[in-house]
Amino acid sequence: MNLYEIIQDTKTHYCLECGKCSSICPISRYDPQYSPRVMIEDALFGFEEELIHNHKLFSCLTCYACQLKCPSDVDYPLFIRKTRELAAAAGEHGDYAHSGTLQSLVGLMARSSIKQRRFEWFSNSYRTSESSDVMLFIGCSPYFEPVFEDIPVRTLDIAEASLKILNSLGIEPLVHPDEKCCGHDALWLGDMETFRILAEHNAAIIKESGVKKLIFFCPEGYRTFKLDYPNYVKLDCEVMHISEFLAQRLETEGLRFNEVKKKVTYQDPCRLGRHLGIYDAPRKVLASIPGIELVEMEHIREDSICCGTSCFTNCDSYSKQIRVGRLVEAKATGAETLITSCPKCQTHFKCAMVARGEEKGPEVEIEVMDLANLVANAIGG
Amino acid sequence: MSRGNGHKSVLVIGGGIAGIQASLDLANMGLQVYLVEKSPSIGGRMAQLDKTFPTNDCAMCILAPKMIEASSHANIELYTYSEAEEVSGEVGNFRVKIRKRSPFVDWSKCTGCGLCEEGCPVILPNEFDQGLGKRKAIFVLFPQAVPKKYVIDKREERPCKAACKDACPAHTNVLGYIKLIAEGEFEEAYKLIRDTNPLPAVCGRICYAPCEEVCNRGQLDEPMAIRDLKRFAADHVNIEELELPTITKTGKKVAIVGSGPAGLAAANDLAIKGYGVTVFEALPEPGGMLRVGIPEYRLPKEVLRKEIGYIQKLGVEIRTGVRVGKDITLEEIRKEYGAIFIGTGAHGGMRLGVEGEDLSGVMEGISFLRVVNLRGKAEVGKRTAVIGGGNTAVDCARTAKRLGAEEVRIVYRRSRAEMPASAEEVAAVEEEGIGIELLTTPTRFFSENGRLARMECIRMKLGEPDASGRPRPIPIEGSEFTTPVDTVIAALGQVPETEFVTELGISLSPRGTIGIDPKTRATNIEGVFAGGDVVTGPAFVIDAIAAGQKAARSIDCYLKREPVAVEEEERVPEKLSEEEVADRQKRYPSQKRVKMREEPTQERVKDFREVSLAYTPEEAIEEASRCLAGLIEGCIECHECEKRCEAKALVYTMQDEHVEVDVGAIILATGLDLYDVSPLTEYGYGKIKNVITALEYERLTAASGPTFGELRRPSDEKIPENIAFIQCVGSRDFRHKTYCSAVCCMHATKEAMLAYEHHPGTKSTIFYIDMRAVGKGFQEYIARAQEEYNVTYIRSRPGKIEVTPENDNPIIWYEDTTTSETKKFETELVILCQAMIPRNEEAAKILGVSLDDCGFVEIPDKIFHPLDTARSGIFACGYAHSPRDIPDSVTQASGAAARVAEVLAGGS
Repeated sequence: MNLYEIIQDTKTHYCLECGKCSSICPISRYDPQYSPRVMIEDALFGFEEELIHNHKLFSCLTCYACQLKCPSDVDYPLFIRKTRELAAAAGEHGDYAHSGTLQSLVGLMARSSIKQRRFEWFSNSYRTSESSDVMLFIGCSPYFEPVFEDIPVRTLDIAEASLKILNSLGIEPLVHPDEKCCGHDALWLGDMETFRILAEHNAAIIKESGVKKLIFFCPEGYRTFKLDYPNYVKLDCEVMHISEFLAQRLETEGLRFNEVKKKVTYQDPCRLGRHLGIYDAPRKVLASIPGIELVEMEHIREDSICCGTSCFTNCDSYSKQIRVGRLVEAKATGAETLITSCPKCQTHFKCAMVARGEEKGPEVEIEVMDLANLVANAIGG
Repeated sequence: MSRGNGHKSVLVIGGGIAGIQASLDLANMGLQVYLVEKSPSIGGRMAQLDKTFPTNDCAMCILAPKMIEASSHANIELYTYSEAEEVSGEVGNFRVKIRKRSPFVDWSKCTGCGLCEEGCPVILPNEFDQGLGKRKAIFVLFPQAVPKKYVIDKREERPCKAACKDACPAHTNVLGYIKLIAEGEFEEAYKLIRDTNPLPAVCGRICYAPCEEVCNRGQLDEPMAIRDLKRFAADHVNIEELELPTITKTGKKVAIVGSGPAGLAAANDLAIKGYGVTVFEALPEPGGMLRVGIPEYRLPKEVLRKEIGYIQKLGVEIRTGVRVGKDITLEEIRKEYGAIFIGTGAHGGMRLGVEGEDLSGVMEGISFLRVVNLRGKAEVGKRTAVIGGGNTAVDCARTAKRLGAEEVRIVYRRSRAEMPASAEEVAAVEEEGIGIELLTTPTRFFSENGRLARMECIRMKLGEPDASGRPRPIPIEGSEFTTPVDTVIAALGQVPETEFVTELGISLSPRGTIGIDPKTRATNIEGVFAGGDVVTGPAFVIDAIAAGQKAARSIDCYLKREPVAVEEEERVPEKLSEEEVADRQKRYPSQKRVKMREEPTQERVKDFREVSLAYTPEEAIEEASRCLAGLIEGCIECHECEKRCEAKALVYTMQDEHVEVDVGAIILATGLDLYDVSPLTEYGYGKIKNVITALEYERLTAASGPTFGELRRPSDEKIPENIAFIQCVGSRDFRHKTYCSAVCCMHATKEAMLAYEHHPGTKSTIFYIDMRAVGKGFQEYIARAQEEYNVTYIRSRPGKIEVTPENDNPIIWYEDTTTSETKKFETELVILCQAMIPRNEEAAKILGVSLDDCGFVEIPDKIFHPLDTARSGIFACGYAHSPRDIPDSVTQASGAAARVAEVLAGGS
């Protein structure tokens, strides 16, 4: 893969240089030096060296906001991903957040022989089955939990809530003791080798388990399995996000929930929304819970704004500003809770509330909750 | 039978500028042209534009002469409001079936005067103004429409029978005014009611509402609260400030005796027709029984005063305190006035015929009410008995209660079922703690110290029906009993007092009522007419109003020496059939009527405050929205237009017609539509108030538009000083329309110039990708915009529009492509130059012409036969052919006409 091929693959040569991408980009809004149009222009001018050593290459959130509105249909996020492959090969990797802990954990999962103890968190009150047709993908949640303990983010609560939901529907899913990170971050950082190892491992254990359906509560894992794995490995099972699964069950089985009195707003995760076009399913689930009043933010669905950082890389003050801006928008709705359906959205928003530095800035405190947790509460028991 | 001659006739589809130009060229070559246009007028998109570039000429000024020429050309036959439905045959020999949609107006009679439109109660968004303005269900497309003929936008059958209107003696347009209330047009509603009833506020309170009894909605759940809605409309206009109609005086005078509802209605109608009207009233205040017979708590005097006041403002003189027959004779009046209307009502009381009736403390009901209504008070004892079961008895009882009587009871000789008082009035009586003693009648009154002290009554039983159809009450012998009482009010009924008319020799019935010719409302003495209670005996207000109106029509004919117009036969209110009821119940969910709130009983009996509290606007709109007639889109068939049309052009039963023509060739010039830009959510169209489309902008700057040419922004109607245009919205976009719409760079520039011309100093910013000034003088035009019209061009395609909540100003986010900086730009109004799309799908299907990927007509030979479609003998021009501006479309049209001539002359 070289820059010329990347340009061809991502239709970059159709660029009209109109700048629509930059005016939509959540980073450009705060960082005047960041312009997707200029990145494209550099590529078209053949400035390969400048491009792959441009520190900003790792700033793109790959949120797809620009791509969905590009009049020339340039796939900028794909252009970034592929260009990062060139950059990674040249030794570039952007600034890792959290001292690279998360990247190291992914590396360990991919390459070390350390045996994972993935069930340490697991309480016995959930029913699982080794011979189930359905598997719940837990992903990195057990690793996020200790890293973000101080924020505090409880990603495993989402895993538990998802189990509770499945159990209440009479499903005893398989929770695999040997699953590993889906490889999403490695892929989007251009680390293809790590991604391949993880993808092959996961595909193999899933094939062996014989499951027919794989359910995710993390949109990144879902996107990776659904759109990226097929390019590298063979996967013979249906993949679904839990919100889609619930929306489907609402229709076929007329699920009923207990009343939960709450005024909420909803954050469309980029992977679930713009990457996969799933906007209605989570809203349908929210609408089905009695007592829930959904008040939408100014920017929703395809115009939604990203939670501000991706792949735990290049998380800087601009990233913080994006998150604060989004939280201000959420608070403006008058909702008491911001619902999202991505563990990373939750992490990033909570982080923005805690670490606000000397200058406090606007009030951004709002309860952030995963859709799965809300549904689990509405199931009761 | 088809018309036309294949060798010499041409069909042109589309009456826009291209179609008009092609038609005129062909017609001038001596060919017969059939110009078919879907909308009711020719003119097309150009008619919607304010100005045209690059000359900035008024679009209508250029277009109108062309439209007139086309409509009056001997060789052009216009088929507007029509569509070509079928095309068969081949070049030189096409047969075309044209469907002429029914306009429900006979265009050979319609003069385009617009009287119908004024009365129409159905308000719809005006498509010609891109929905920014409103139009009525009967409308002309735009003021300069050609032909200037009205059409009714009738989409559905009315789901009810409008029985209300038939049941009303005055035939008030009930469904019409309820529709107006539902639309929030309260003053218009009042005006529409007033058209058939000069006393809406009065009838909105005390009418017996025969309309509600027959209301078809009542067959589904509950009848409409028509009377209460009428009151609401009346309460929501300032009657004293209502504009007056223009009246042309006839110089003739009419005298009216009696200022009750009959007299007032006649006076109102005659005054509007231009007669000098004088009303003679015996009592010190005008209003007749409305003033002295109805208690304040049902009809406040102030309400009556205002409605009479309006009639006086129409030029009616009311002389109060003049009793005809005593202060002035009828003979004297007759000498001075061309005609007389007698409407003196029935103010005489009836006697009980019982011993002791003349004792102090025994009163007659009507005179009791009169005293209270004129003086504000009357003496009542602690124990008051009211004799009778009619509305007057109820009014007397409730009045006595309010005057302080501790114990009030109604004594009635029949049972409850026979009480003539309305059920709601009887219910109110009981609520207020007034007793009703049924099957009882007084037989004697006893006095003590010269004052009434006791009343002897006898119990009754019901026997065979009497002349009135009700069971005859028969005294039960030996059931007499005595009860202490200090006031008795005998409310037995009213009779007219008509002795004064005998001086002229007017004949009276044995009951004392005046006899009239039911057709002419005339008495046996020439020039003297009568109506109301004085003719019929006691009846209802609305009956008296209707009688006054009918007499006024007759008097008008009489004074004009015209034969009396034969009145249309009264229509019987129709019911919905069982199937219809079932169908309506399926279509419309059940909804209870909204009840008017009332003053609490404990409080209201302390004084004469009005008992019923009016609707709030929200309640009125909710109630009005239940009306079945109003639940449909478009015309509700209230027939108001028919009533107003002087040319008698309305034909509700009109059907679509088909015409067949033979033509040798066809030109397709169906023009353009606007691409829906709401899927481009980043620009917030439809969500952000001050983001509009370019065609909406054109309507806002056009003199014939909804703001009469004032550029006012939607959010606050402020004239913006800073506006911005965004180019290529939906055009040159892989996700929407890939092609360039060809005219936006130039029309945006023109629109920016117009903003400056409307309000010098206006700053315009145009966001563009690249400026496509491809035409003679276009580049200079853009230079002029920059130099003389304060227009700035920014090379960027904005990606997002947000809004400042405080002032609704849009904020445009864009990347300045010269500095690579992302910036925001706050402005007051954003105009999206939306993509344009060909409007030719239907026509192409009928013609069998293929379209290209973008929907434009496919042209197989683009170089040497650029106007020939894939089907021989069919040509295309204008925007249906490809994106282009007006001069280009006209050029193409002439080219297409030339090609047609060539083919018809035998070329290929």
